[in-house]
Amino acid sequence: MLKELKELWAYRELLYVMVQRDMRIRYKNSALGVVWSFLNPLLQVFVMSFVFSTFLHIQVPNYTAYMLSAYLPFMFFQYCVLDSAQSILLQAALIKKIYFPREILPLATVIANFIHLLIGLVIFFGFLLFAYIRDPRVIPFQVTTIYLPVLLVILFMLALGISFIVSALNTFFEDVKYIVQVLLYLLMYMCPIIYFAEQVSNTKLNLDHGFILYKLYNLNPVAALCHGFRKILLAPVDVPVGKEVAGHMPTPWPYIGVAAITSFVILVYGYSLFNRLKWKFVERP
Amino acid sequence: MSEFAIRMKDLRKDFAVSHAGIASLKSLIVFWKKRNIVKLDVLKGVSIDVRKGECLAIIGKNGAGKSTLLSLLARIYKPTSGTMEVNGRVAPLLELGAGFHPDLTGIENVYFNGVILGLSREEIQRRLPSIVEFSELGDAVEAPVRTFSSGMMARLGFSIAVHVDADILIVDEVLAVGDQRFEKKCLQRVEEFRQNGGTILLVSHQLDTVEEFADRCIWLDQGVVRLEGNPADVISAYRAEG
Repeated sequence: MLKELKELWAYRELLYVMVQRDMRIRYKNSALGVVWSFLNPLLQVFVMSFVFSTFLHIQVPNYTAYMLSAYLPFMFFQYCVLDSAQSILLQAALIKKIYFPREILPLATVIANFIHLLIGLVIFFGFLLFAYIRDPRVIPFQVTTIYLPVLLVILFMLALGISFIVSALNTFFEDVKYIVQVLLYLLMYMCPIIYFAEQVSNTKLNLDHGFILYKLYNLNPVAALCHGFRKILLAPVDVPVGKEVAGHMPTPWPYIGVAAITSFVILVYGYSLFNRLKWKFVERP
Repeated sequence: MSEFAIRMKDLRKDFAVSHAGIASLKSLIVFWKKRNIVKLDVLKGVSIDVRKGECLAIIGKNGAGKSTLLSLLARIYKPTSGTMEVNGRVAPLLELGAGFHPDLTGIENVYFNGVILGLSREEIQRRLPSIVEFSELGDAVEAPVRTFSSGMMARLGFSIAVHVDADILIVDEVLAVGDQRFEKKCLQRVEEFRQNGGTILLVSHQLDTVEEFADRCIWLDQGVVRLEGNPADVISAYRAEG
């Protein structure tokens, strides 16, 4: 693996150009351009928070921000996996003609999406400021935001690892792409995005079985990370559970630690799997 | 430093070919028993040495293994067995413009292709005027490549490839880009490259070009070297076979 990493470093210039190309192509022929990369999550979250607070009567102040804080990292993960699934096949003509480390393709996809995530976070803070001006009770900035880089690094490792696996497998079996689409759809409901982790913790099922449900729930690294992002970016909030109100929980650092280890293992495994399969991309039967 | 630019020893390559194709899990599971994957030996032990500064031509019928040989050289495949040693930077001229993206402009594509071929962005920036001039595209390089004709694309691709300062140039039937005048210009450029001590590997069906250009010629037939030697001799033997 060291040999491959060394080679990757030698090709860093290509990686840079590849990311640049990816960002350029994405919105090349659209009038709104890069605006789409944050208009999309904003619209989704506005609709969801409207449904939840108006139709389902869940009263949490500034619900939109709480959803957005977890939806942005989730959306990054989702787009990375979906885009990289296609990344090798879309460049089939190129990899049949010329050599370069193949891992640059999914890596460039993940980096381009990561840049979009960073833009999204800037918009997010802008949104918080806007919410603060409208309602000064909402504090726009948390001290814990300094932990943001830590979570971003873990999330990046996880997304890259899964992207390596998915892109390598999808090159041989295009079913992988469809399986992944379904799984990602399910994953969204298994992460605290449209609801709160406190609500999971306070379900009867969980309380009756010695918190086993909540523990299992948090072993999913994406769930733990979404929960973490929400905790460090926004003020703690008490959430309604049935007719009562559940107190907020602290930032789930132990679970984030588990997620970090899981993500690292997935990244190492994903990269070695990719390296094992990459020579067969051009000569798949 | 070795006196050889390329040394291949007993190079073999086989491919697994499936007639049904296993592009989905379903077909993999359903047709597991009758996958009928056929092993196809394309190269059956090829040993070729190319000296520095030499122009070696490889001729042979379709399916003789010429393109596979060049792809092995460009590190697109890994050989099944045998060894290969390459001294110097290889610039493949295989199917020019393979990496062009239709929505990007000519210039943006020059950067992308140049970096793939091993240049840094700075080097490309310095050579950009020369690349554009050689391609004779003028202001059209600012337009998206999708608006280019195939001749324009080939010209730009060739222009990038000859500007990468390679030690070894792989030329695979690409000199037929654009009109006769441009073709002549390309040949001239390749000749210049050779005079500066560059090594050339030429694969072509145009036997006249081969005879004119090559120092040495190899006839590849069904994955083995059939005949090797002086271009005139090899070509006449090849012609005699029909």
